[in-house]
Amino acid sequence: MPRVPVDKLKPGMKLAKPVTNPSGMTLLGEGTELTDELIERLNNMNITSVHIEGASKPQKPKEELLAELDARFEKTKDKPYMSTLKKLVREHIEDLYK
Amino acid sequence: MDAVTLREEIERIDTLPTIPSILQKLLKVIGNPKVPLSEISDCILGDPALTSRVLKMVNSPIYGFPGRISSVTQALILLGLNVVRGMLLGVSVFEAMEKAMVGLWKHSLGCAVTARIIAKKKNLREPEEISVAALLHDIGKVVLSLKFPKEYKKARADTEQQGLFIFEAEKNHFNITHADAGAWIAQRWNFPKNLIETIKYHHKPHLSKYFPVEAATVHLSDILVRAIGFGFAGDNFVPPINPSAWEILKMNNSTIKEILKEMEESLEEAEDILVIPNE
Repeated sequence: MPRVPVDKLKPGMKLAKPVTNPSGMTLLGEGTELTDELIERLNNMNITSVHIEGASKPQKPKEELLAELDARFEKTKDKPYMSTLKKLVREHIEDLYK
Repeated sequence: MDAVTLREEIERIDTLPTIPSILQKLLKVIGNPKVPLSEISDCILGDPALTSRVLKMVNSPIYGFPGRISSVTQALILLGLNVVRGMLLGVSVFEAMEKAMVGLWKHSLGCAVTARIIAKKKNLREPEEISVAALLHDIGKVVLSLKFPKEYKKARADTEQQGLFIFEAEKNHFNITHADAGAWIAQRWNFPKNLIETIKYHHKPHLSKYFPVEAATVHLSDILVRAIGFGFAGDNFVPPINPSAWEILKMNNSTIKEILKEMEESLEEAEDILVIPNE
């Protein structure tokens, strides 16, 4: 779920995850719809960014992630269980893009 | 330097002038297994920055009480002395490194989250303790780097230039690895046996005499976190899984996939711990 900086927040956006204070206590619950007032309050609380539902995911392209995966397993791909593990992580990455 | 001298040097880490005074004070307190809870909480509460880090940590997915612990005293009661001591050690030692090892801190947090997920899946007892062991499994890397900054930097450079695992490069430079250094320091600070053994054998869980399941859990967490490329543990390679770990934990493909999925959710939240709050 993408993080959006507080200064880019607009009323109507919905929180994908709860907002917590530095101690981890929940301030605003998941699914809360933001209003001007709430955004102002987030600003005053020194919170830098929040998770927003459905915003576009600023992620690396899948090919890049898979190339990095190949590089990480380069030294051990022939060891027991490692090809299985690599295959499972590859499938996991591919699932993220579905 | 022979192993005995090296060990003595490492055990005196708390006297290093580069270690902040709050950490020195804290190490004195957490190094004593008989220290009363009240003394630990006083020590934490004396430092507002530390208080907020501790609360953030205990409310994270690393432990089982997200968003529910509001005071340091409550954290100590719910998590127990061993877990809080371990967590304090992790927080304070990694903080001492500041930005130099933020990749390792991220790797360690990732392992703590993952170890908890595995422990829960396998219905292991004391998932919090296993999680703390995972948080601290690479503490030896920090210790070596604090004590021998130049030499450790060379070891890190070797991993890139010669395509080595960090433990191979450490062996070349120090004749020991971070697993040894970490176990020595955990022993020096009177940490419980399960923690010492897990740190010592996190690359060789089959050698752990009393806690092979815990060691295997941390070993697998380490590998999974590196396999997905979360954080930086000192080199860019996934180390080989020790086949006995797979067998000890009775792993299978579908369980691994479930673990990877749960990691995806929790790791993102754990990353918030790395963001240092504005004081």
